[in-house]
Amino acid sequence: MKKALQLGLFLAIVSAIAGGALSYVNGITSPIIEENNLAIEKATLLEMYPEANEDDFELVEGVSSKTIQKVYKYNDFYIFNMKVSGYKDGTTYLVSIDSQTEVIDKYQALSNGDTKGLGSQVMDEPFKESLEGKSASGELDTISGATVSSTPVIEGIHEADQVLKDMK
Amino acid sequence: MNRWKNFKAGLIKDNPVFSLYLGICSTLAITTTVNNAIGMGAAVIMVLILSNVIISCIRKITPDEIRIPVYIVIIASLVTIIQMLIQAFAPSLNDSLGVFIPLIVVNCIILGRAEAFASKNNVLDSAIDGLGMGLGYTLAVVVMSFLRELLATGGCTITNPFNVSQVLFSFSIIPEEYTISMFGSSVGAFVTFAILAAVVALMKNKEADHIALEEKEAKKKEMEAKKAAALEAKKGAKAV
Repeated sequence: MKKALQLGLFLAIVSAIAGGALSYVNGITSPIIEENNLAIEKATLLEMYPEANEDDFELVEGVSSKTIQKVYKYNDFYIFNMKVSGYKDGTTYLVSIDSQTEVIDKYQALSNGDTKGLGSQVMDEPFKESLEGKSASGELDTISGATVSSTPVIEGIHEADQVLKDMK
Repeated sequence: MNRWKNFKAGLIKDNPVFSLYLGICSTLAITTTVNNAIGMGAAVIMVLILSNVIISCIRKITPDEIRIPVYIVIIASLVTIIQMLIQAFAPSLNDSLGVFIPLIVVNCIILGRAEAFASKNNVLDSAIDGLGMGLGYTLAVVVMSFLRELLATGGCTITNPFNVSQVLFSFSIIPEEYTISMFGSSVGAFVTFAILAAVVALMKNKEADHIALEEKEAKKKEMEAKKAAALEAKKGAKAV
């Protein structure tokens, strides 16, 4: 009994020290990580709309789901920050939909953790061009050979369109 | 000399990947590009050295019955700390390594070295062992990823881990129509791994044959010397 208590106490002390170290490093890194993510998002928003200023993108509160992380409003456009599954890590992307016509105005992938050359094609220009200018509720083409990565992206756009309809 | 031998062993002779067959899961998964391999290698070196040092420091006070859970708590905490640091200071590297960094926790090289070496040796030797084994792992994944990237994409690109748009080194020698995309997938990973493991096994076998031959010759010489000594002893006895 005494031995078991001693062992338990030793493991508890080791865990407490480890927990303390983790909490200390988390305290240092989490604001930097948050800042990095925001900077990437802002840079991409400005890349999509070079004529806009940083403050022109208005954060729409109260919209979030498993895939929709954030929604911004810029003029008539609603820009959805989406995170969808894929072959490995999935894709994070921004898609802006015109609230009047429900047409995809811009598409920009932020990151993709799938196989380079296959799933990563969701970040490439041909896929972007195949989406822009099409109806967000209509049929959109997946990438042949990378359907596991591109189908969730398209499903995400359809979901964003549905949310936009509900908001209207 | 012993320390140098200990350090060198991890590089080729006892290479954790191609000789001890440890940490194969992450090796097969991350070796698609040289960039990934360097990042993963650096993370493994850091975790290995730190875990070996900490485990060696507390080896005398760690009760034998709970040593494995203690090692796992230490390794898991170190990996999480490294992941948070990479997320904060090299976000592009974090994007490309994705789920593989948390997988270092279950990388058998780290627990293997903690159990086989750090728990029995002093801090300095453990740190050297961690560095040697970590460099051995890095060497293995870099060689493997170089071959895979070259065959799958026709060239090789190394970018700055802190700024992915800054290309440090890049070349392309195989025209696109001759590249083999299979090497970018898991099948290519297994094929490359098998070829490299066979090369290391061949090197080890040759070395073993060489040692065996030397031992045989040494024995032969010893026997001859004994015979000569016996003959001389006989001659001496006759003369007396």
